[in-house]
Amino acid sequence: MKTALSILAAAALATVSTQPTLAQETVKIGVLQSYSGITSLGGQQTDFAIKLFMQKFGETPGGFKLQLIRRDTTGPNPEVAKRLVGEVVTREKVQLLIGPDFTPNTLAAAPILSEAKVPSFVTGAATTGIVGEKSPYSTRTFFATPQLCKPLAPFAVKQGWTNIFVVVADFAPGHECEKFFMEALKEANGTLVGNLRTPLSNPEYSGYIQRIRDAKPDGVFIFMPIGELSIGIVRALNDSGLKASGLKIMGTGDITDEGYIDAVGEAAVGVITSGIYSTQHDSALNKEFVKSYTALAGEKNRIGWTAVSAWDAMRLTYDALEAQKGQKFDGEKFAAFLRGHKIESPRGPITIDKSNGDIVQNVYIRRAERVNGVLQNVEIETFKDVSFK
Amino acid sequence: MASILTVLFNGVAYGFLLFVMSVGLSVTLGMMNFVNLAQASFSMLGGYILVTAMQGYGLPFLLCLPIVFVLVGVVSVVVERLIFRHFYKTDDLTQVLLTIGLVFMSIAMATYVWGGTYQRFDMPSWIIGQKEIFGLTLETYRIFLVGFGAVMAVALIFGLERTQLGAMVRACVDNRRVAGACGLNTELIFAFTFAIGGGLAGLGGALSANLLGLDPNFPLRYLVYILIVVSVGGMGTITGTLIAALALGIADVLGKYYFPQFGSFIIYLLTVAFMLWRPHGLLGRGA
Repeated sequence: MKTALSILAAAALATVSTQPTLAQETVKIGVLQSYSGITSLGGQQTDFAIKLFMQKFGETPGGFKLQLIRRDTTGPNPEVAKRLVGEVVTREKVQLLIGPDFTPNTLAAAPILSEAKVPSFVTGAATTGIVGEKSPYSTRTFFATPQLCKPLAPFAVKQGWTNIFVVVADFAPGHECEKFFMEALKEANGTLVGNLRTPLSNPEYSGYIQRIRDAKPDGVFIFMPIGELSIGIVRALNDSGLKASGLKIMGTGDITDEGYIDAVGEAAVGVITSGIYSTQHDSALNKEFVKSYTALAGEKNRIGWTAVSAWDAMRLTYDALEAQKGQKFDGEKFAAFLRGHKIESPRGPITIDKSNGDIVQNVYIRRAERVNGVLQNVEIETFKDVSFK
Repeated sequence: MASILTVLFNGVAYGFLLFVMSVGLSVTLGMMNFVNLAQASFSMLGGYILVTAMQGYGLPFLLCLPIVFVLVGVVSVVVERLIFRHFYKTDDLTQVLLTIGLVFMSIAMATYVWGGTYQRFDMPSWIIGQKEIFGLTLETYRIFLVGFGAVMAVALIFGLERTQLGAMVRACVDNRRVAGACGLNTELIFAFTFAIGGGLAGLGGALSANLLGLDPNFPLRYLVYILIVVSVGGMGTITGTLIAALALGIADVLGKYYFPQFGSFIIYLLTVAFMLWRPHGLLGRGA
């Protein structure tokens, strides 16, 4: 009796699935972000952005039913990321992936994703060359290091701050950023008056600060990973009186990231950064985005670039799924559709590069200021359509 | 010349910072022979109490410091009575495993209560900025740190190393049964010492959080530095801790100034050298 019933049920299912208009295929999306420890803000922002997007645009783009599978990468942890990607691809059979975050995780995931032909979104890794050849199904919605590290050099020289001191954290992304900034500075006819590579575990900056003071630069360019280092160096430059004496503090958006800028406090005011997203960006889409995100997440959870990168990954996913309406989900078509695709993001217009899936976007020079009592990054100049190279 | 003196002063200030952070552990580890890594968690708690009292209740900074000392002291006694006292007779490794477990628990608890991000410190205006002293531009907070650390060091050296109370504590540690037989209330003395150690750790956290930043990962980030200072200084000697903290602080800042490419490597190099030269620490009494 039981077998008879199940045969009947199977037959019924079979008839349903041959009728494409009625079928609702489920697309499983793996969300691999860091949800624990000091890097958990990224995962938190990703979740808020995805939730908000699905509230606004429904849960069935192109007639596909979405199912999210979340996993915690715990931070830059390639071993963990590799295991999790393997697990969600082979066991959970995810067809799309948002993440993993961080460059080492992205690199660890690439071979598995390429072999399984699972399209993924890079929403939290900036190293150049991690999308493209090695991972033909990846699309970057974050930014590439040169996008943030180059534009400040010509900007500074144009302001008359020609003598620049460069300070980077002594790890691979720091070296990469240092190289790009120094090249751009040379191109802009600026002068490098000194540079320092500071260790990653480094609670005390005063020895370095004195070196900067001795070199008498007009401005200092900083690249530090978000966290106690980025907070610490800006505060140390302020406490030492260097900022008050007229030294211009510049850096990538990491040093005034919205999630940490309150901890930097008054020291942040006047700091110039290059960034891809500010909640202050003047566009109707962004105003609506900030309003609804804040309504969902609360005032305390501020919006950073990870949230916007996740939001854009959702926008692209929805566009690509709409394009496959009525068909069976096809990962290769999905990735191909995104190449050359252009969307309006809360950060401004972005384009996915035709040749390798990397991102082309505007880069904004911002000054940290108090707006209605809250520290914000106010955009003061735009570099249009900056390449990822 | 001015830059050398400024760097030297910053080194001394960093040394006192290391001292206030690690002297709490020096007291419990050295005097009571109890390996309490959770001391770093007491430091973190001190930082969070300072933030809550200052930003939440609007109390002045100087008033917050004694509050931190007392509250963290009380918390540490509670923890001592509930957990630690059962482990006084166990070996070092058990104590390490127990207290590192507590550190991880404290990180989770701090994330739950205060959130995972860094705290904002609104220091009073008199303590921020710089002061001109003998032609040198020095940071006010560092001047305060040097003064506070020096007063604390003198008070502790005389209070715990030169008084009857200090003698009683050391007697309890050296031979608990005999000390008890001589009429000392060993339980009370241990709890009291523990409270002082905890309170000092809290104070260290409160004073350093403004310079080093405060988030739930604080204990793990600075535990290494605390352990270095205590082991270089020698167990159970506050003078040793002070000398070690100053030496390491000055060496670290000078090293970063003159040999920036070696970064913070110098502090470790110096530690290894010290430990080879004096395995029990600078002023350690030996095993």
